[in-house]
This record gives sequence, structure tokens and C-alpha cells, in this order.
Amino acid sequence: MSQRVPIRATAKMKELMGFYYMMAKSAENDPNQKIAWITSGGPVEILHAAGVIPIYPENVAAMAGTMKISDEICAIAEEQGFSRDLCSYARTDIGSALSGKGPIMGSASPKPDLLVCCNNICGTVTKWYEELQRIFNVPLIFIDAPFQYGIKDRPEAIDYMEAQLRRMMEQVSEVTGKPFDMDKFMETLELSDRAVKLWREIQDLLQHKPAPMNSFDTFIHLAPIVTLRGTQGCIEYYETLKAELLERIEQGIGTLEKEEYRLGWDNLPVWFKIKFLSERFSQHNAALVVSTYTRSFCYQAEDRDISNPLRAMSADYLAGYINHGLDFRERELTEMVRDFSLDGFVMHSNRSCRAYSFGQYELARTLEDKYGVPVLLIEADQNDTRMWSDEQVGNRIDAFMERVASKKQRNIA
Amino acid sequence: MSSNIKSVLEPFEKVKDDLYFFARQAKQNGEKVAGFLCTYSPQELFHAGGYFPVRVIGKEGGTPLADQWLQQYACSFAKGVLNLGLTGDFSFLDLVVFSHTCDTMQNLAEVWRRRVEGMPIIVVSTPNLNGGDIALTYLKRELTRVKEEVEKISGNTITDANLLESIRIYDMHRNNMRKLYEIRRNNPSLLSGTDMFTVVLSSMLMKKEEHNKLLEVLITELQKVPSQKEDKPRILVGGSVCQAQGFIQSIEMSGAIVSDDDLCMGSRSYVIPPIPQGDPIEMLAQMYLSRIPCPAFYKPGYDPAGPYIEKIKSGNVNGVIFLQTKFCDPYGFNYPYLRKRLEQEGIPSLLLEVEQNQPVPEAFRTRVEAFVETLIK
Repeated sequence: MSQRVPIRATAKMKELMGFYYMMAKSAENDPNQKIAWITSGGPVEILHAAGVIPIYPENVAAMAGTMKISDEICAIAEEQGFSRDLCSYARTDIGSALSGKGPIMGSASPKPDLLVCCNNICGTVTKWYEELQRIFNVPLIFIDAPFQYGIKDRPEAIDYMEAQLRRMMEQVSEVTGKPFDMDKFMETLELSDRAVKLWREIQDLLQHKPAPMNSFDTFIHLAPIVTLRGTQGCIEYYETLKAELLERIEQGIGTLEKEEYRLGWDNLPVWFKIKFLSERFSQHNAALVVSTYTRSFCYQAEDRDISNPLRAMSADYLAGYINHGLDFRERELTEMVRDFSLDGFVMHSNRSCRAYSFGQYELARTLEDKYGVPVLLIEADQNDTRMWSDEQVGNRIDAFMERVASKKQRNIA
Repeated sequence: MSSNIKSVLEPFEKVKDDLYFFARQAKQNGEKVAGFLCTYSPQELFHAGGYFPVRVIGKEGGTPLADQWLQQYACSFAKGVLNLGLTGDFSFLDLVVFSHTCDTMQNLAEVWRRRVEGMPIIVVSTPNLNGGDIALTYLKRELTRVKEEVEKISGNTITDANLLESIRIYDMHRNNMRKLYEIRRNNPSLLSGTDMFTVVLSSMLMKKEEHNKLLEVLITELQKVPSQKEDKPRILVGGSVCQAQGFIQSIEMSGAIVSDDDLCMGSRSYVIPPIPQGDPIEMLAQMYLSRIPCPAFYKPGYDPAGPYIEKIKSGNVNGVIFLQTKFCDPYGFNYPYLRKRLEQEGIPSLLLEVEQNQPVPEAFRTRVEAFVETLIK
């Protein structure tokens, strides 16, 4: 029986992220150091290669959520006319940009010289970055990653991406005032590729029983792959984490005293309720071992041409889970059920994210009816606490776990 | 209103009682009907492929079937049309066409494909980047692919000559509609906003050839009427409502006249600059990319307040009412900026959140009346 052993690498990650934000913050006053705000699914390698510091408003919004200051910041955007029905990340970020309030050492993110928006995660970012452009009056690079309705990505969409990424290099170089360094770019792509593969390997280690880490931990350890992919620091960090997880596997260390049930998670975390959810599932000896959300940051295109790195990159940036239709999502979910030996799936129906959430009812029904996988739908929001009820969600989790348990017993019997 | 104009309007009004009166008539004659969910669907292609394209619209009432597949926070347009898809109300359609615009429409297309039986669907991957050669190249390839798919499904070959003819008919239609808008901009009392929106609605549900003929008669009749003095406050409606009739009527009952709009299913879809004759696919791609962009799209350098201010100035508009469909993100994000710009221009505006599947609520009337009162000097 394993005791609860904390993951040591967490401290190192906090150090890494703290250093990154300090560096970014100090760059705000350095006119030679350019800063770009970029969406989480954006082609950041081009920025790293050009020496531009990337800032991720989504990550900053999530930090505000975990620090429980997002409601207050959202209210600032709402006063300006942004409806409460709009994405809470966008409201958090716009409120932060307007007021200077934020989670980074008590204030907002360092101001951008450039905005980079890629709509491979949702259409909301298009509108959100348009607003940022109006606030900061800096260039906006928009990368349109066509949603892939079928399972196989369309070649004309990959061509379209490639043309846009080439143009982005020129646009970035106009901002830096320096020619785009192709060699540095190729190096960055390689670093990024290694980090993405490591991130996938780390998540795949959770296939082991007991899982050496929980998805609630994975949410936290996501920060470097989002913000620092394409840097050496990111690789070093994930190598450390991977080594520690392998060690835990060898010693049989899990995250629960007894891991009886294994669950998947769909959609963004409920950032302000990570602890509550983690404890509630633990009470039922249930571990969350995989999530579509954290895996979104390690998708690589299926038939990527590695001899042509820019082409492969163009395909990769189309290849994510939420840039795909429901047939693709069904396939991914069922593969997760199989590979991670799942007893059920928890789907966060996230009011903020229509791109991620609409279609979940269909997928939930498919998992239940076609594959016999119990599904729990939690109606909530990634950052907006105002419609959450511990009691209601807690009761639903308890009822769901009863269903999971009785199904498992039937299967054993 | 003269009795002449009244009788000219009669055929348009058939769609008020039965949206798909003309579609059903065509079906009885053995024709094929394609339903499109968005004005970005390249109707010309479907027209050239032998289909009668009609707009897919919801109707008043609850959406119990759609509620099983879409969350509470999905917009009433998506739920309304999905519900009718699931009840079989659209089973007369031979084909359904979606266009990639917002996240809701994207996932609606997916749920529809998996749950609504009986007809094939085509999704047009409209680029969300509007403008520039890169997007143009992509859209040309996408329209070529769609053309081939239409040919496969319909069994009809779409020749360049067919397609050019369809483009000509649709162009003529847009010109006629623009003329009508222009007449009303100068002299709104000639035709009420309520009647205008019946014309707009019917334009999406009748054959363009027929609609053109009727429009030409209507325009000729309106041009005969001497211009009248009008002291009702002029309102421009903006926002994201697809079926505006009830709301327009309610606004006009409060003593104002709706003289113009910035609605996607209104003036926006008729504003396309002339495109030189050439390869028809290239023409279509250029046309759809040079429209006033859907708020879900990004167009470099485009100012969403531009069309508002231009219409307000050229049409002496006194106030703006935003009819905002609840849970419509693209318009929701534009609103704070539009409100600010209108304030700077000294134009009063009112935001009203609407549900498209519900009758006009009493609170709507009350707020409109209060707003219109402030405009009457």
C-alpha cells in the first residue's frame, strides 16, 4: 500500500515558471526585448526563434482562477459591457488588461509589442485578441487553422497553414527589426518536438497501475509545455519529472492509498475547485489518470513529413483534439478508455467553452450506449465561481461513483 | 401605403404563414431543395448544381429534442434549427449546407451530421481570415472541393457557364436588395421596417429569379411615390438575430421606424462590391471574402463600427437597437466597442438580449418604448 508521496519536481517547476515570469516582467521596461501575447495553441516556435518572449493570457487567466481573484477581475470587463455569458478566460484577461490587476507578482502581464492569435483552440480567441488589439494598439498576427470535420486532415488546410506560418515569420521580423533566423528556428522546432514527445510519454506513464501521478497534478505540470515549449528549460524540466515518475512506478507509488477506479477527464479543469474535486474523487478511491485537455498539448499530425519541419509544424498545429470533429473525438476518447484502463469518464461541460463543450452530450451518449463507459457530466465553468455548488457537484460525483462501482463489480462477477 | 404597393407585397407575405411554402411547391414539382444555415454558404454553387437553396430557420416554441444534445448555454438559433431537424420538419430537404463560422455552428454541424437522419450534409470550410491572397487561395480550393461534392451528390455537372449564370442571378438580386435599402434609407416611410423584413425573409425562401421579378416591380412602384415628410425617429437595428420580424414590428409599434439594419440576415449579406467577370470559382471566393465580415471572422484593418456610422450618417438615423441573441459570442465581443463608438458619435443605443424561439416578451416592449420616447424631440 502506497503512502501519499508528493511529487518533488513540482518545486522545480514553480522555480522555472517563477523565473520565466520574472524575466518577462523585467522585459517590459526593456525596449529591445519584444513581448508577444499568444494563444495556447499558437505557433510559439517562431517567437522563440526570433527572441520574442511569449506570454499566454490563458495561462495567466488560469493562475488568476487558482488564486481565486478571477471573479473580481472579470467584473471589471463586465462593467465595460462584456456579458457574463462570454468566456471567463477572456473576461479575466480583458479585465486584467484594462485595470492592471492580475496574478503575476500582484499585477497584470507585461504589455505586448505583438499579439499572435491562432484559432485552432476556439473561435473565441479571434474576438478576444481583436479586443486586445484595440486596447494595446499593437500588430496582431492571426493564424486561421481550419477546423477539421473529418478524421483525416485536409491537405489544402495544411498548405494554408504553411503559407500563414511563412508570412508570420516576416511579420515577426518586422516587429523585431531583425531578419528571421532560419537556423535558430529549426533548432527551436527540434526542441519543441522533443518537449512534446516527452509530455506525451509522461502522460502515457499514467497507464501504469497505480498511476504515478494524477490528472489534477498533470493540470499543474502543464504550464511549461504551454509556455516554454521550444526551450531547453522545458525539456530539462520534463526529463526530471519523467525520471521521478519512473522511479515512482518502480516503487509502486501512486497518488491514492488504494487506487480502485480509474477515470478520464474531458475539457478544461475547474481551476478554482481542483482541490475539492481531487479530494472528492479520492474519497471514492478514484484516480483521474488521463485528460483530453492536457493531451491537447502533445498532438502531432498523423502523417507528418519529418524531412520538412515547417510542413510538419503546419500539420501539427491543425492536429489537436479540439480542432477536430466528433468522429475524431470519439476515436480519441475510446482509445483513452482502452489504453488507460478507464472505468468511467468525467466531462466538464464548461460554460465558457462552447468549442469544447457542444458535442459532449453526443459523445457522452456514444460512450455510454456504444461502449458501455459510464459518463459523469459536470456543469461548471473553468474560471467563474458564481454558479458552482460544492454540495450539488459532490452529490453527483457520489452517485456517479456508485454507478461506476456497481458496474465494475458486475464486470468482475 | 398605396393599394398598388400593398398588392405587390402580397406574394412576399406567403412565407409569413409557412416559411417553406415555396420550397414545398418546388418539391411537388420534382425539384431538389438545399437548406443553408448561414449566408456564407455559396448558394450560387448549389443553384448551379440544380438545387433551390432556402434558408434553414427555426420557429417559435420549445426545443425539447435539441436540449438533449446541446447545453443550456447554446444559442436559441442553434437549438431551434436542431430541434426541427430532429422532429423531421426538414425532411423535405435533399441537402443541408453548413458554413464554418462560430464555435456553436461548428459543433451544431457535427451533432446534426450524427443525429439528424435522412439527408446528406456539406460543411463549407469558410476561412476565418478574411482578406489577402493566402485566404483567397484556400477558399478557391475549398469551393472547388464543394463544387465536386455537389456534383457527386446531385449527379449534375456544374459547368462554368451554369455557375456564371447563377452568379449573375444572385448578383442581380443583391443589387435589387441594395436599391431597396437605399430607397428606404432616404425615405423610410415608403415601406415600413416590418414590411421590409418580410421582403428580406422571403428573399431567403423564394427562388431568386422570382424574387428579382417581384423586387423590380416593388422598386418601380416605390419610385412613383412622392417623397413624404416623416417625423418618426429612425432606428437602425444591429446584432445577431436571424428572424427579426417580431422584434421589428414591436419596435415600430412603439412609434419609431426601423429604417436600416446591420444584420447578417439583412443588409450585410447584400453588400458585395462588384467583382470582375472571370473564373467563376475565383469570383465566388473574392465575393465571399470581400463581404462585410461575419463577426466570427478576422479581417485585417476592418472596423466593425464603420458600417454603423456610415449608415447612421447617410440615413439620418436617430438611435441604434442591438438585438443580441443570448449566448452569441461573436456579437457579444463586438458590443462594448460598438457601444463606445456610438457614444462618441452621440448616437443613443439600447442593448436587448433576445431568444429567437420565443415570442417578443413584454419587457422588450417596455424597454423599447422608453428608449423611443427619449428619441422623440
